Amino acid sequence: MKLVGLLLALAGWLIPIVTVVMTQSATIRMAVSLAGIATILVGILVVLNKAHVKEAIWKA
Amino acid sequence: MKRIGEAMKRCSWLGVVVVLLSVISTRAQTASPASGTPTAPPASAPAMTAPLDVKAAQPPSADDLAKGDPSGTRTGTIADVVVSDTNKGLTLADTVNQVGQNRIAINFVWTLIAGFLVMFMQAGFAAVETGLCRAKNANHTMMMNFMVYGFGLFAFWVCGFALQMGGCAPAGTLGGASPLNSEHSISLLGKTWGIFGTHGFFLSGVTYDVGVMVMFLFQMVFMDTALTIVTGAAAERWKYAAFAISSVFMGAITYPLFANWAWGGGWLSQLGVNFGLGHGYADFAGSGVVHAVGGITALAVSMIIGPRIGKYNRNGTPNAMPGHDIMIVLIGCFILAFGWFGFNPGSTLAASGNGALRIGSIAVNTMLAGCTGSFGALLYMWLKFGKPDASMTGNGLLAGLVAITAPSGFVNTVSSAIIGLVAGVLVCYSVEFVERVLKVDDPVGAISVHGANGIWGVISVGLFADGTSNYGGSWNGVGGSVRGLFYGDASQLIAQLIGVGTLLGGIFCLSYAVNFVIHMVVGQRVSAADELEGLDIPEMGALCYPEFVLKPESIPASVTASKPAEIKAPLRVAQETA
Repeated sequence: MKLVGLLLALAGWLIPIVTVVMTQSATIRMAVSLAGIATILVGILVVLNKAHVKEAIWKA
Repeated sequence: MKRIGEAMKRCSWLGVVVVLLSVISTRAQTASPASGTPTAPPASAPAMTAPLDVKAAQPPSADDLAKGDPSGTRTGTIADVVVSDTNKGLTLADTVNQVGQNRIAINFVWTLIAGFLVMFMQAGFAAVETGLCRAKNANHTMMMNFMVYGFGLFAFWVCGFALQMGGCAPAGTLGGASPLNSEHSISLLGKTWGIFGTHGFFLSGVTYDVGVMVMFLFQMVFMDTALTIVTGAAAERWKYAAFAISSVFMGAITYPLFANWAWGGGWLSQLGVNFGLGHGYADFAGSGVVHAVGGITALAVSMIIGPRIGKYNRNGTPNAMPGHDIMIVLIGCFILAFGWFGFNPGSTLAASGNGALRIGSIAVNTMLAGCTGSFGALLYMWLKFGKPDASMTGNGLLAGLVAITAPSGFVNTVSSAIIGLVAGVLVCYSVEFVERVLKVDDPVGAISVHGANGIWGVISVGLFADGTSNYGGSWNGVGGSVRGLFYGDASQLIAQLIGVGTLLGGIFCLSYAVNFVIHMVVGQRVSAADELEGLDIPEMGALCYPEFVLKPESIPASVTASKPAEIKAPLRVAQETA
């Protein structure tokens, strides 16, 4: 699950960059950039962090 | 007699100015003669190498100088202009060259002094972090902040600076620094993407250059700020050896990579030139490059390392672990605020030419944002919890300073105040979110102060940049001034969002991967027994306060109710000795 979180973060970073290259539309660029950041945050703060909290020292 | 002498001296200076002006106007008249009127044949201008009449300027004699100069009127005259050929004496070329050298010298001195101020911020960070930790870990925390300077500097000298600035192109304000002209780029989708520099390893070869040295010092102290941020988030349980390895890698690779993309001529800065996104990713002094990189790496390390023993109960509710010295925390905040006058205004890399006189505006923006940041945090804590909390107020000041770092060179004072106020409230929300929702333990709030507010600073450039700045007529190769959404340029905000995505997606993943490998090979965290005893003795071999009697650690029963035994055993020992 940690790997899934990291892959989501990478996808959220790279997909907007490719979209920015391929389109001139400011609206699409803005929307995809924001969606990308949201994807990254889900990957890091939800998926990856949850995997860490599962094995936290206070849960032992 | 004295007055006649001084009047004659002023006349002689006037005479020099008149000669120069007539030379210049003669050349202009030669270029564009008035139409329809017969012009006199142009007077032949003195050659650049022709000797000037120095005696007309009446420099003070040796006898005059030997008498001393209490008023300063005889110090700094035409006699002090450097002469290139003593046989010929002073020429027009010598005088013009001196003007150029004076400009570069002013910029050198300004940049170096600003760099010295930023270096002193290391003391501020050390004070803040140590004060927010428990006394039994004070030596360890202080030593991390002390040695991060050395580890980071060494890594940056070996390869970090080269990767970051090796291809940044000539810095006109510092006399060119032309040897920094080699950037490794890739061609993708029809565009050139700068990835890292390749000149400047060990500052040797062609980069043994006076301008490069100034640039190195200034960039190094910024890099060290990013490294020291991580030590606060991982304090009280980070192995010293793991900290050392992690810091060296961050100074050598992680930080320089993003800094190259933003400041070294890399692909992020070229988003404007390549894709029409405003002026490319704009980060005046490093909310993103320095603070967000530090805060995001702090998040990665904190996740891997886990929370301190006793921080969370079995039901996930957090316990407060107050620091041991609020006084040193607030003194540290003042030291940081003072050092920030080097951080932001110094990022012009100039005090002469290229819009550099904006340094006063930048300094005022910085002060204001820190001020309103502290207000925001103070009011939030006072209204919500009934008391003005000292440590959060200090963090509010720092949050405002972090947030204004990127936009400081592009915004007005009203925007600065707003940015700081939002930062002060944001840091309070973020601290609660990180602690209670994410359940990530951050003893000093580094993730919230630097990570969350670093990102807010990057975004605020895309909102509040007002288009009045002028740093040589362009920024990142795009003509005109940086302008945000509220001043008519939405594409600048998009460039900033791409930068935020790169920080959160790219830099976090790199930092996480590196620190995960360190965790697997060396181990990031100390043993439970060492952690409960306090890191000063097991890790450093000496207490920070050897004459004080530290109270035994009390761990809530809900934490110790079950395994592992290694947590229970040292508790019994501590209780017995107490």
